[in-house]
Amino acid sequence: MTDTLAKLPQGSTLPDVVIEYRDVRKQYGEFVALAGVNLEVRRGQVVCLIGPSGSGKSTLLRCTNGLETMSSGEVYFDGMPLSKDPRKNRLIRQRMGMVFQNFELFPHKTALGNIMMGPMTVLGLSEEKARTRAEALLAKVGLSEKASNYPANLSGGQQQRVAIARALAMEPEVMLFDEPTSALDPETIGEVLNVMKRLADDGMTMVVVTHEMTFARRVADHVVVFANGQIVEQGRPEQIFDAPQTTRTRDFLSHLGWDG
Amino acid sequence: MTFDWSIIWQSMGALWQGALVTIALTVLTMVLAVPLGIVVALLRESRLKPVSALATAYVELMRNVPIILVVYWAFYVLPILTGVGFSPFLTGLVALVLNNTAYNSETFRSGIRSIRKGQTEAGLALGMSEGEAFRKIVLPQAWRRVLPILATTWVTLFKDTSLVSVIAVGDLAHTALQIRSQSFRVIEMLTAMAAIYWLLGYPQAKIVDWIHRKYGVTE
Ligand SMILES: Nc1ncnc2c1ncn2[C@@H]1O[C@H](COP(=O)(O)OP(=O)(O)O)[C@@H](O)[C@H]1O
Ligand SMILES: [Mg+2]
Repeated sequence: MTDTLAKLPQGSTLPDVVIEYRDVRKQYGEFVALAGVNLEVRRGQVVCLIGPSGSGKSTLLRCTNGLETMSSGEVYFDGMPLSKDPRKNRLIRQRMGMVFQNFELFPHKTALGNIMMGPMTVLGLSEEKARTRAEALLAKVGLSEKASNYPANLSGGQQQRVAIARALAMEPEVMLFDEPTSALDPETIGEVLNVMKRLADDGMTMVVVTHEMTFARRVADHVVVFANGQIVEQGRPEQIFDAPQTTRTRDFLSHLGWDG
Repeated sequence: MTFDWSIIWQSMGALWQGALVTIALTVLTMVLAVPLGIVVALLRESRLKPVSALATAYVELMRNVPIILVVYWAFYVLPILTGVGFSPFLTGLVALVLNNTAYNSETFRSGIRSIRKGQTEAGLALGMSEGEAFRKIVLPQAWRRVLPILATTWVTLFKDTSLVSVIAVGDLAHTALQIRSQSFRVIEMLTAMAAIYWLLGYPQAKIVDWIHRKYGVTE
């Protein structure tokens, strides 16, 4: 955070807001998944969304790039409101990367092919340029020697690192992570978190849904606690983890076995 | 009862011609009914209710009406509808394509549905359009899953082309049955017909088995 602040042009008081949620609501029939969420994400910030399963974290993340339509409210990306029609949000999606719990690598493409797909299809890059970009990204996530492996021949941790590289290939301004380590064997969680940590250190704006409290504590600039489709508490990680203000947060943390 | 197998050798040229027509019908039907099947599968998933309803009605009609009826229907109704006279071959082709498109659309629909929604979403999240995500991500994966089913359809189609013989398309079945009724060599011609269908069909069935082994089980 201090690094990010140091990089700001002279005269700025606050880093600019990249994503703004205004009273975002989502209902599935009678069921209220999001009950009015207001939140700002600033450039260079790492925001971690935590809270019990079913509390609406994924729904909010999916409303961010329009994979899910809101029932009401607004999401602004870089000052532009997302369209209610999910098909109209293509340009915004190009500028936001997304990493899924189940990786969702394309099984019919190699690791390199997965990473080249976005730049070639969406940005119209030549195969040669896309390959150069993909090779650099594979090196960045430490998987250069797995370039020609198909996803089926990669471990979970390796697949998720390729998935991160695939999202980065679009050179996004924001990265969205939806429980990126929840489907992983414990021994491969670390390698994925390391890649994410380095991304954060490079100044990437990140919104991360996670149950990895150690990661949230060490990497997040801002932690948001969800319960029943609402934000029940938010603040600096020290505040949330060491001095939680609400019983909801305390219950959730003690349920996870977090003891500060 | 005496047999005169020489009739087969005398008719070899005609039978060969008929076999070629049968093969041509099978190939052309499949070449047309595969892309059309994809189109109908997509129309059934259309957001526009009348479009999907119409496509569904077409598929359900074709799946539940005997092919031979479609063949007769094409023979009598097609010229009225279009005002143009169709050759028997073209009429037979239209009937087979109508029928096969319906079956293939069901095959593709189940193949497309078997691909997790998350795969499309991964493409959309990269900024792809729905169409790009379908062509680059869903279709190539669905293709591997539908290939074994399409192969089975192919072998069935090869045999079902014989149904167009009722409108005098010069296919193998029609040719053999013609020679039978002119020469009265019933047993000989039916045997020859069976032998030729088998000779042509058996290698195809073996290829289908191989496709099933190669693509059938893998994820
Ligand atoms: N397509 C859907 N239809 C109905 N209910 C849904 C749907 N998607 C999510 N939900 C419900 O919305 C709630 C919030 O889900 P989600 O955002 O995935 O929670 P979280 O990510 O915090 O675990 C859950 O109770 C879930 O069952
Ligand atoms: Mg979730």
